[in-house]
Amino acid sequence: MTLQNAKIGAVYTVKSLDLDRATTRRLEALGLTKGTDIKILNRSRGGSLILMVRGSRLAVGGKIAETIHTEEVS
Amino acid sequence: MKDEIQVGFIGNPNCGKTTLFNAYTGANLKVANWPGVTVEKKEGVFKYHNHRFKLVDLPGIYSLTSYTMEERLTREYILNSNVDVIVNIVDASSLERNLYLTLQLIELGKPVVMALNMMDIVEERGMEIDLHRLPEMLGIPVVPVSARKKTGLDILMHTVAHHRSKHMDQNLEHHHLKSAEKDPGHKHHEHRHEHHMEYTVVYNDKIEDKIDEISEFLQRKYGEMVNPRWHAIKIMELDESVLKKYPLELKGIVYNSYEEEIINQKYDFIEEIIEEVLVNKNKKAASTDKIDRILTHRYLGLPIFLLIMAFVFFLTFQIGDFVKGGFEVTLGAFSSGARYFLTTIHAGNFITSLLVDGVIAGVGGILTFLPNIFILFLALAYLEDSGYMSRVAYIMDGIMGKLGLSGRAFIPMLLGFGCTVPAIMASRSLENMRDSRRTILITPFMSCSARLPIYVLFSQMFFGKYAMLAAYSMYLLGIIVAILVAFAMNNKSDKNVGNTLLIELPEYKSPNIRTILIYVWEKVKEYLTKAGTTIFAASVIIWFILNFGTSGMVTDMSQSFGAMLGRMLEPVLAPAGLGMWQVVVALISGIAAKEIVVSSFSVLFHIGNITSPSGMASLTDILGQYGFGALNAYALMVFSLLYTPCAATIGVIQREMRSTKWTLFVIIFQLGIALLVSTLVYQIGSLFF
Repeated sequence: MTLQNAKIGAVYTVKSLDLDRATTRRLEALGLTKGTDIKILNRSRGGSLILMVRGSRLAVGGKIAETIHTEEVS
Repeated sequence: MKDEIQVGFIGNPNCGKTTLFNAYTGANLKVANWPGVTVEKKEGVFKYHNHRFKLVDLPGIYSLTSYTMEERLTREYILNSNVDVIVNIVDASSLERNLYLTLQLIELGKPVVMALNMMDIVEERGMEIDLHRLPEMLGIPVVPVSARKKTGLDILMHTVAHHRSKHMDQNLEHHHLKSAEKDPGHKHHEHRHEHHMEYTVVYNDKIEDKIDEISEFLQRKYGEMVNPRWHAIKIMELDESVLKKYPLELKGIVYNSYEEEIINQKYDFIEEIIEEVLVNKNKKAASTDKIDRILTHRYLGLPIFLLIMAFVFFLTFQIGDFVKGGFEVTLGAFSSGARYFLTTIHAGNFITSLLVDGVIAGVGGILTFLPNIFILFLALAYLEDSGYMSRVAYIMDGIMGKLGLSGRAFIPMLLGFGCTVPAIMASRSLENMRDSRRTILITPFMSCSARLPIYVLFSQMFFGKYAMLAAYSMYLLGIIVAILVAFAMNNKSDKNVGNTLLIELPEYKSPNIRTILIYVWEKVKEYLTKAGTTIFAASVIIWFILNFGTSGMVTDMSQSFGAMLGRMLEPVLAPAGLGMWQVVVALISGIAAKEIVVSSFSVLFHIGNITSPSGMASLTDILGQYGFGALNAYALMVFSLLYTPCAATIGVIQREMRSTKWTLFVIIFQLGIALLVSTLVYQIGSLFF
């Protein structure tokens, strides 16, 4: 599943990123890499998400969220 | 040994870097641009014990790749300047993310000292950081500081002074468990390399072998190269700028980019560090999350933001106008005092008129708006420093998305309420050129503080108790025009993810008074400088073109050069109800700086104290004689809001765009929009009033 249909409050592990090189590098600089655990903090009506990644908060637009493939951590 | 130590301040955005920098230098700093680009460069000098320190504040960055201008700039600075020590400011409350930049800095090879900031937030959450183990694993000194409370400052500089000639002086104690687990063939004690004793960041054997191979090549080919290891790593990442500078035959060595593996192994090491040094991880929920539950709420977020902005403008206009009263009385007294003095010393009519009607009226009128501008910048600085600004990007992302822009493009627009120049610079942080261009095109429609004097003056003159409403409506109209233009320019077929939102939301913090005051002081200083230079010069020029004609000095302004120029363009502005040569002259002069529209009115109509009740009453009277009423005033406000931005803005657009064609387009486009909208307002208004 992608981050787009993630539940608020749940934790997910990133499996793969399906993005162009520049955006992938920007995500990596912010700590979001393959294998990272992500907690979903909030979702706006427009589909943007607030994520907790490696101890800091990121706001991510819907178009990026739908390219991040994840697996829920039980 | 040189007696000045050059220190570069580097850290992630929002790590408290500027606050720490200000704690050392105070307001005593030099602000310039980095050569060739519009990225700001701050430098400050101070003395401590017998050392002279020169501090250089570098742009806030997350990484040292060559993907953004700020990152390239920082990298070039570290590699090529004679910086002695790098101070890496780290936000302890998000240590894990901050360490990524730290590892990259250490790899660059210059001496690095870590300033661990915001330890109070860590303690507040019941967490602890092992300050003994952290430097051991990194091989660099770690000094806890508090930029806000100004603690640890002396110790930090003491460490810098001692560390400047040492690269790696501490015993490295790390074992890279993670990479060993992931790579079964890799056994730490059997490592073929001695690198664990030498370097902080060590990769797995496969990558280390390649690094050694390439650095040997580099050394053979380029001789005295500084830090071949770093260059070898960058070559393995296929870093464009390094490959261009040091071309290398890569056949048989590097087949594809190792970038991803290198990044992942850095993060593996960071996880290892965090496991060892961070105690009681996630013990208490951060207060930031509690605040965010309200401020970024699905439904409440937007109304709260609008309320905050309404409050900001209420403060700017109501409180600002209250204080402004005092300034006006002073100006009035000064103006009549000056006239009296000049008459008693028998200064000629020419000098008296130039000084009193030209300079004092023009410059003084602008100075009375200082309280409004001070309050507006104070409020914007508060929003920025508290951490709320990036939430605004998240809240506005849905609406901006409909215009094909990311929520982040709203930050330059919001900054545009203060001053268009820094707002345009801020649009550079947007992900792609096309978005930056669109943002630059619409940002000048956000009403900047220089246009505020025009609204305040004309709405008070013509709209009585509705004055504030009339002024507010300008801000609203500016936003509406910006949105319409952005919408019209939106290319819907574009499916690029480049323009989607991606922004860090920092911890909320109570803003630092010192940081805010230094920021506001810089703005006030700019405003005063502008009043003393551009506005002063423009007032003098306007006085000249209005008091001289083909026959020399004229007593009747309508015979002056200014009147001749104004009359030529009268027909163009007539449909907008602005067909008066005086108004045309005022608007043309406003291109130098928007406030000058107001100064010009003082000079044009000989009103020494234009913002005082008596000054306004006489201006209303005079304008009334020309048939210039409330509707004309409103059209004038609309035109001033939308037309060609000031000279400083045009300059920064040209520098950001590097395209004269585009800059000309912006100028003409905005002039066209202003004519169109003000004509519509005037013509439709005429039907009703």
